[in-house]
Amino acid sequence: MKSILCVPLDPVHDVGIKLIRSALAQRGHRTELLSPDLPAEEVVRRAAAEPWDYIMVSRTLGYGVAEILARFVDLLDAAGVRERSKIVIGGKPVTSELAAELGFDRGFGEHSTVDEVVAYVEGREAGAGATAAARTKPDVTAGFTYDVRHPRVAELLSTITERTLAWAQARTTPALRRVRLREAILDAPEAERNRLWQEYHTLCDGPIAEGNRDGSLPQGVRRVREGEARALRALLAERRAVGARGIRHAGAKPLMFKFLGSGCPVMDIVHAKVCERYGLDGFLLINPSWEARYEGLLDGLLTHENDGTITSEQNIRLVRELLDPASLLTVRAHRGLNTPETVLLAARAGADLTKINLVYGSLGAGTDPERLAVDGLEAMRIAARHGMGFDIPGNDELSGVPAWKSLAGQLATAAIGCALGARPILKPLFCYGPHIVLHGLMADNFVDYNLAKVRSLRSLVDAPIWPGEPIAFMTQTEDRVQSANATSYHAALAATAGVEAITVASTDEAYSRGPIALASRIDSIRAVADAYRFMGGAQLQPTAGVDGFTQRITDGIVTTLEEVARHESLPQAILAGALGNAEDGAYPGTFGRGSVTADGR
Amino acid sequence: MRTERSGPALSRVLDAVDVETYLVCSSAQEGRELARLLGRELNLGDVDVMFEEFDGYGVRVRLRAMVHRPAARYAWLGEVEKEGRG
Repeated sequence: MKSILCVPLDPVHDVGIKLIRSALAQRGHRTELLSPDLPAEEVVRRAAAEPWDYIMVSRTLGYGVAEILARFVDLLDAAGVRERSKIVIGGKPVTSELAAELGFDRGFGEHSTVDEVVAYVEGREAGAGATAAARTKPDVTAGFTYDVRHPRVAELLSTITERTLAWAQARTTPALRRVRLREAILDAPEAERNRLWQEYHTLCDGPIAEGNRDGSLPQGVRRVREGEARALRALLAERRAVGARGIRHAGAKPLMFKFLGSGCPVMDIVHAKVCERYGLDGFLLINPSWEARYEGLLDGLLTHENDGTITSEQNIRLVRELLDPASLLTVRAHRGLNTPETVLLAARAGADLTKINLVYGSLGAGTDPERLAVDGLEAMRIAARHGMGFDIPGNDELSGVPAWKSLAGQLATAAIGCALGARPILKPLFCYGPHIVLHGLMADNFVDYNLAKVRSLRSLVDAPIWPGEPIAFMTQTEDRVQSANATSYHAALAATAGVEAITVASTDEAYSRGPIALASRIDSIRAVADAYRFMGGAQLQPTAGVDGFTQRITDGIVTTLEEVARHESLPQAILAGALGNAEDGAYPGTFGRGSVTADGR
Repeated sequence: MRTERSGPALSRVLDAVDVETYLVCSSAQEGRELARLLGRELNLGDVDVMFEEFDGYGVRVRLRAMVHRPAARYAWLGEVEKEGRG
């Protein structure tokens, strides 16, 4: 047991010393708290009257205060207190250096915890706050039955699923042939791989085959040097997170994800490690847009000087290897011509989730609907085989598609995924999208309509919901503070909605002229953590308008699915504009058009 | 170890340096020009004006200078010392 004299030299800000005194007393230490308005001479007299182990002074530093404290230490010295007591200072701007400069044995600042002070008194290492807390990997899809609660919607989804599976059954694409080869390469002995790669390259576009065979990589792409990877591993081995914290204040959800995709896996990993320290739960690996246009994937550990990190097996593997084992990793697969192969590589490299939306991938992300349907179904089978969930981003809303069409497309993709044994995740967009702007749906607030999307989905199906992508899309500006605020308000809304996860942008979200900086990622995480602290277990209250919006969205979903079910299959419905048309601003993609052929297996 | 803008601290910048301030000026155009000039005066080279808002008295600005772009040779990684140049 130690004896501690607590001295609030600050007439106002003495809550810190009171908290510390309470914690010390609970641990069985003897404490005495002096009145905050005693003159220095009286404090010194009391300090000298007993053999205290610690004299713990609390003072917020301002102009001229340093001189007062230095004089106070001199008085303690003169009274012989220092010979038997350690003299400690705590206050907002206090640092170890400043404390030493003023003559104190130790200083604690605004980032110090009560536990750290108690640990110092007890001569032990602080537990909480000094190292990362042990984390366990969450499962976003656990506990959901995927039961469709709305009989008509269940019937329509069943029809759409059956027709689409039947339509795709006798069809194949170069991606399906490549994924079988790629699986063979992954499992083949070294001696056979060269032959298999040669065959693989006959199914690739020129730049991919040449990049892999001859090393003439696309412009802006280079191999990561062995020394770079080694230096990265060394850097991460010698550092560890200090003061690791969680984001959520109350409850275990929503989990929080961020995009990775600077172009460089080395940069991505450093960003991710720092974000892990701030409590992030997972990351979405995003590929470059040009990768989507080519048949085939580049192989090797590759870095790229523009947006999007190349989804090679080695890149995914390195990111996965260096992330915390409890962090979730999602790899985007649905953009372009390599969907099944991307899912296979992601699964083999240890990713936890992938991203497939047959509708958005076709309407907003440029892939031919028929091609993506055939590829996407195979990708879902691979995901199911490897126990990977897949999320279904609703970013087609950004093209101008109304929310109900985007949500109907998500439900159709989810139903097909479930039929193939996969575990889908619905991703309504928390956004200020074009359809919403044009129709004044958020004229009063951003709460009702976003919440209505979640309520509508919940009324239709028992499935995980993960608003994205990122939340607050099109509400953020290039103003850093506004951007962080917008993200944090939407995160608070997501917590109110009780969703499973959210994707959160950096404060560079609206800045499109350069890469995202790590500081901007930290800023938005801190803003969300503050919002969660502010909200705790409280809830945002929508206006009465939410009920009307929910009904309108649900009716729209039913009407859209009715229209989709009139077509031969989901891709035919997409091509006919049932899930978004030219008037909405949505156009079927063209990558891979004409590449679906009869399956001659 | 050298970067485009080398120095013991700059070489440790992971990616970018942002500068935020308020410049007294008479128009948005003048504010933008001053912001870019400020980047050069601070030896940050060519900066990107990420955010600007002119309010009649001056401009609230945020500037960004990239120190290490993705796929560049990252001085903070310490790769060069271990492997030698090239």
